[in-house]
Amino acid sequence: MLHYLIKRLLWMIPMLIGISLISFFIMHLAPGDITASESAFNPKASEESRQKLRALYNLDKPLITQYNLWLKRIIKLDFGNSFASHQRPVLWEIKDTKGNISKGMIQEALPITLMINLIGLLIIFSTSIFLGVISAVNQNRWPDRLITIIVFIGFAIPGFWLALLLMYWTGVTHSWLPISGLHSAGYEKMGHLAQYTDLFKHLILPVFISSLGGLASISLYVRNGMLDVLQQEFITTARAKGLSENKVIYGHALRNTLLPLITIIGLSIPGLIGGSVIGESIFAISGMGKLFFDAVLMRDFPVIMGILTIGSVLTLFGNLIADIGYAWADPRIRRGISN
Amino acid sequence: MCRNYIIFLFAILFLNACGNKKEVLYNFEGQFEKEKGGMLTDAMSGEPSNLISMIAGDSASSAISGNIFNKLIKYDKNLDLASEIAEKWIISNDQKTITFFLKKNLKWEDGYDLSSEDVLFTWKLITDDKTRTPYGSDYKLVEKAEAPDLYTFKVTYKKAYAPALDTWASLQILPKHILKDEDINNTFFSRKPIGSSYYKLSRWMNGEKLTLEASTSSVMGLPNINKLTSRFIPDTSSQFLELIADNIDLMNINPIQYARVIPSRPDLEKKLALYKELGNSYTYLGFNLNHTPFNDIKIRQAINYAIDKQEVIDGVLLGLGEPVASPYKPGTRWSNKELHPYPYNKDRAIQLLNEAGFIDTNHDGILEKNGKSFTFEILTNQNKQREMTAVLIQRRLKDVGIDVKIRVIEWASFVNQYIKTGDFDAVILGWSLSLDPDQYNIWHSSQQKPGQFNFIGYTNKEVDNLLEQGRTELNIDKREKIYHTFSKILLDESPVIYLYAGYGLMAISKRIKGIDSPAPPAGIAYNSYDWFIPSTLRRNEITE
Repeated sequence: MLHYLIKRLLWMIPMLIGISLISFFIMHLAPGDITASESAFNPKASEESRQKLRALYNLDKPLITQYNLWLKRIIKLDFGNSFASHQRPVLWEIKDTKGNISKGMIQEALPITLMINLIGLLIIFSTSIFLGVISAVNQNRWPDRLITIIVFIGFAIPGFWLALLLMYWTGVTHSWLPISGLHSAGYEKMGHLAQYTDLFKHLILPVFISSLGGLASISLYVRNGMLDVLQQEFITTARAKGLSENKVIYGHALRNTLLPLITIIGLSIPGLIGGSVIGESIFAISGMGKLFFDAVLMRDFPVIMGILTIGSVLTLFGNLIADIGYAWADPRIRRGISN
Repeated sequence: MCRNYIIFLFAILFLNACGNKKEVLYNFEGQFEKEKGGMLTDAMSGEPSNLISMIAGDSASSAISGNIFNKLIKYDKNLDLASEIAEKWIISNDQKTITFFLKKNLKWEDGYDLSSEDVLFTWKLITDDKTRTPYGSDYKLVEKAEAPDLYTFKVTYKKAYAPALDTWASLQILPKHILKDEDINNTFFSRKPIGSSYYKLSRWMNGEKLTLEASTSSVMGLPNINKLTSRFIPDTSSQFLELIADNIDLMNINPIQYARVIPSRPDLEKKLALYKELGNSYTYLGFNLNHTPFNDIKIRQAINYAIDKQEVIDGVLLGLGEPVASPYKPGTRWSNKELHPYPYNKDRAIQLLNEAGFIDTNHDGILEKNGKSFTFEILTNQNKQREMTAVLIQRRLKDVGIDVKIRVIEWASFVNQYIKTGDFDAVILGWSLSLDPDQYNIWHSSQQKPGQFNFIGYTNKEVDNLLEQGRTELNIDKREKIYHTFSKILLDESPVIYLYAGYGLMAISKRIKGIDSPAPPAGIAYNSYDWFIPSTLRRNEITE
């Protein structure tokens, strides 16, 4: 097992270099650089100053040199500073000589996105496992049909449209929920409990919208997996033993159905750090999606590469964790690896 | 379970509803006495990146830093130059030296004296090659800048430079005592500025909002509104929802919201006042003059006659814009009142096209010359108004026998692949209606290298001469004449077709009083320091 782990970890290194190389070159395929967006069309800004900026950021050097420079920094875990005029660090905060702290861009955006996605994932899995089981048990009867229709409507409905309607209905017509942002005006003056409630209220709509689309696929996975398992002989055995139907379904069938879900959970780990651009823009939440999108529009290369690198590391680890999780849960696979 | 969830959700909503305050009914009508205090909240689509305006390039940054820092001089409500921290200025007889006399007893927010030393320091910063600013070139024309005493700042140019005053009306003065040992490109000052104007930074929450607070040591006096909060809301639909839910007081709206949505809702009309001001830019159709047939003046004029500008204004802006006949704000001294936009005249257009040799010989509805059909492509960037404009133009040009294709491209690609390389037939873009009439960078024939702004390739000796004269003539009447002639040639030759100058449209909560309407040339916000919020109309959270 340990041998397997080490092999997998070592394999990650060439994979990461490959991924970063491809990302780097694809990113540079898009025409333009930071100077095209910053004051590109202001007659008061001169071309010389743009050239100066290009030289400063090494954008005038050959691509392969730029990539080497980037690689040299990233090995030391230095993600660099943004090209934007605020020059904030991409990953983590730095302190200047006077003790002022500049927060890292990913450092600020990641927790917000992570929070929304984790809650979303929790809701998606708990809800869709339940929906899937109900569907499977009532196969082709009305609860099954109804659930399928509902989850597919949720999947098909454009999120931004539903978001705006819900914002209007809950925020403007009834003022039950805040419309956008994460904190109300006067948040600073609230007590701790009030702050949590405030944050909770702001999160209801974004989390709801972000989890709606995920329900369909997972609940169908569970439904179909459950149907397969229910036809197997050990279920017949369990029933023949005289176990209650609840015990058969939740104690025996569901546990076996959940195995493939481990892979899906592993694969959704990298998705946890990617936010939805549209969702974040509409709800005015400054998470990872908006950060990445803005960076692409501005051709802010250090930020783009920073996010891509972290994303690919997480993807690789996600795969690894899924495999390990699988081995842990399923003795057949565990034995396969050990051999 | 699904049902349980919905019930659960409703339960939360219901609980919240119980805890929520009922909407307070304000009486916005009536006379109110001016008073200090209160908070104005507005929405911004982008977050400022850097509050040192010479480094930042975005409009969000300059909107905020303009409230924090002072300039030597400014444009007043009629767009004439007026004093700000310089109480007066003198231009020498040879027109090369400008001397500014600063007001006495100016203070920075932290109590230090603001003097001509700071102005000199700021000039040194912006002309320093190490400073990462795109705006240095205008200031490098200064041969000698000096501060003979604490209240005098004197600049001498190599030769008379007419736009000089305009450049001093846009340079925000920075404090020397704080920045002299700092790296201006990467200093925390850009997020924690110390200024001298109406407001000081009170709180900046990344990605959420920024709050300014009236500065008691302001050299301009205390503004009426005590706090300005800008919330960063990228999506304009969400901004609008916040506006109608009364969570923000002010936002820039689009023509549909201005002309259709708000007027059809009496409840909104009760709490929102609508304002319009002449915008700061015009939209044009520009030709690549190095491509045939656009090097032929008759073709350009024909297309100018063939486009119905009023139709574009009505269709794209719902009538909320004006046609322009020169690149200057209508109503200001630089705009030549004798010039009028080309009227829509299909027959004249066809006649001019025929004269230029384009005739529909094969009767397919498209004109040909030497066996080649007249077909070209209009490029524009992802901008809904420009896209709609292109479609209207496409239809009108079809009427006269020109086949137009439209291509919409993302901004950075647009600039790099098409504009810089000169690989385009025609573009729809915008230029600002500049306050100083100098437009050397845009129209002078020397400004055609890649990355420069005369990318359409306009070359005209007479215009070159006029632009050069206009740069060195400080006498305002003579200058006016020069630019009136310049505008006339530009209109005759039609290297670009002026399409429209859209109005800036704003919805402002009626709790904000003291707003001038109709807007003066400088726009609605010119006296925002004088706006006030009567205490009876303030929101609860502010008075708490």
